[in-house]
Amino acid sequence: MLHQDRRHFLQLLSAGALSRLVAGPISRALAAESAAASDDFFVFIHCSGGWDVTLWSDPRTTATSVIDPPSTEFVDTARLRLWQDAPLDGTTKTFEPIVRGNLRFGPGIGGLVDFADRLTLINGVAMNTVSHPDGTYYSSTGRHLSGGRPVAPSADVCVADALAGTQLFPVVSFRYPTAYVGSSLSPRCLPLQVDTVDTIAKSLLRAQTTTNETDRDAVNLMLSAEASTLLGSSALTTSLQGYKLQIETLRKMSGDSLGPLFSSSALKAANFTPATYAGRFQGATAVNFSFAVEAMKRNAIRSISLTCGGFDTHNTNYRSHGENQQETFDLVASFLRALDGAPHPTKAGAKLTDHVHILITSDFCRTPNINTSGGRDHYPNNTSVIISPKFRGGTSFGSSRASDLLPQNSGTFADGPRPVAPPDLLATLLSSAGIDPRRYLRDGEVVSAILRAP
Amino acid sequence: MNVALCPRMAFRGVIGGFAFFAIGALAGCSKAAPAEPSSNLETVPVTSIPGHESLLEDTSRKSEARLIPQETLIRNYLSIFGGLSPIDLQTRLRAGSTNLFDSWTDYLGALGFPNYESDLPRASRTNALMLASFERIGVALCDKAAEADLGKNARALTDRTVFRFEMPAAAAPLDTQGFTQRFDVLHRTFLSYPVALAPSDRVTNFFALYKDILARHQARDAGVFTSTPAQSAWAAVCYGLVRHPEFHLY
Repeated sequence: MLHQDRRHFLQLLSAGALSRLVAGPISRALAAESAAASDDFFVFIHCSGGWDVTLWSDPRTTATSVIDPPSTEFVDTARLRLWQDAPLDGTTKTFEPIVRGNLRFGPGIGGLVDFADRLTLINGVAMNTVSHPDGTYYSSTGRHLSGGRPVAPSADVCVADALAGTQLFPVVSFRYPTAYVGSSLSPRCLPLQVDTVDTIAKSLLRAQTTTNETDRDAVNLMLSAEASTLLGSSALTTSLQGYKLQIETLRKMSGDSLGPLFSSSALKAANFTPATYAGRFQGATAVNFSFAVEAMKRNAIRSISLTCGGFDTHNTNYRSHGENQQETFDLVASFLRALDGAPHPTKAGAKLTDHVHILITSDFCRTPNINTSGGRDHYPNNTSVIISPKFRGGTSFGSSRASDLLPQNSGTFADGPRPVAPPDLLATLLSSAGIDPRRYLRDGEVVSAILRAP
Repeated sequence: MNVALCPRMAFRGVIGGFAFFAIGALAGCSKAAPAEPSSNLETVPVTSIPGHESLLEDTSRKSEARLIPQETLIRNYLSIFGGLSPIDLQTRLRAGSTNLFDSWTDYLGALGFPNYESDLPRASRTNALMLASFERIGVALCDKAAEADLGKNARALTDRTVFRFEMPAAAAPLDTQGFTQRFDVLHRTFLSYPVALAPSDRVTNFFALYKDILARHQARDAGVFTSTPAQSAWAAVCYGLVRHPEFHLY
């Protein structure tokens, strides 16, 4: 009996393995085929340093033994447009929460409050880390670092790999925790990682004294042919294939039509107000956001990832933490307005904004208590925001405990009740784009509660 | 017969010591080995020995082509283009020309150097921006070398760094043989081996590029250049070599 059971089990196992073997590549190929026809764009924004959720997404206005709410004692409130005093302790004031539908915000939300009906707010995200690199890559890859190195591809690379199509730049990363990890990723989706657009612009500058653009294009064409010849005699082709593709990309980058895309002066003239570019915290970053808008308008990218810095505020620099949040979310709001006003590059009559999916994350959040230096330290809770037509807007999911701001169970997952975690969010985002999360993620479950009905 | 082919003898040798082994070897294994003077030994090709008719050697790559480390790359640039220090070369590249080059530090990130301040790791593969930077640096280096070696005030052949060959008379066009002879000098300089060992279409590809650019620059509406048509054509050949996949990958 036991023998029969074992045989039956082995038969089932081999049949399953065979079906996987047969169906796997085919279904993957079909998925890749259908995905390659995507008209959607993906934007990943990481607020590096760890943001204070009590100032914007998970507002706290009551002091407890552990929680010190943001107050006039530790926050420069004069520059926070949405700060309205509320009583806290004697002359010290906290803020009046801003309510929009089901959502409650702190004053750090800034201009993004106007888009509250589009926001999917995920609070109480369990980070299980208070290390900057670990939290950063956990947010972008859904895996903790191993030996200090990422062990899975980041979400921007995943969507580029699945949906790149013929895009000139499948993924452009501006100081984002991008990770190109794994042997099955397409060499086409190797990220273009830079600090700013200026880095690209400078690399494309050429003197015209000995040769001109046409001559250099001829050289690139010849190099592409040389790479093809070498490919023909190579058994291991990934590096050379990548080289050949990049030469082709360079030819297009050097062309006239994409020139303004890499000029920071042209980008500053194209989107946002001058005040945005002169911002104290995110002024330089705004150029990268402008690049994102222009690149999407030209259908030149599939996935773009950006970082807004300056949130690591352990001491008196915490006083301006709220202002940094406000400026960051003002920038995101300006970005959304620019997308609202732009037509989709390939879908006639469609708005760009209806095909853009944005995920905003941070390393983790900051402690609910103020430390002896007047700042807040690292805390293993977090908030993430998704702005996507595929997600339910004006919705909040997950929560933190009232007593200590730690994540609390947000639902029952396959492994039982637990708080939502970054892999769940990444799995949900990939799934919403028609990508099988298991193709890229080891962990994470799709949270259907935040997805719109198809 | 070789001693090593007689395992029993070898075993005895181990057991009984070297003396016994030597005697045993002579007695048991040396019958077929004539004790002739070495001067009478005939030499035969290895392939004529039975069992050695063909010797297989697996020369296929066992790993992906890797990117040359960035420090090595910079060192290659410096040594090929005159053995100067990075700052000296930078000064020379910036002299007299506009937009040719600015400073090495502007390109360290784009070339894939790690940035420990920003926690950016060393790039292990090429990317489009890196190739754009290779082009920018390659154009600057080759333009300057062509100007110094092939320009109006060309250096003596022995003093040249890159284009160490004589140019034909202005009116005489280069044929394939003439081009190949000169191209071989560059090929050995940049890719470290003779062009005769390269894939068969390499000369064809580069000669086509040379002729294309030469013809374009000889045309009346070529535009304003500070170089002669031949100088521009050889500079373009130099671009192709200093940015060749074999120059960057190994």
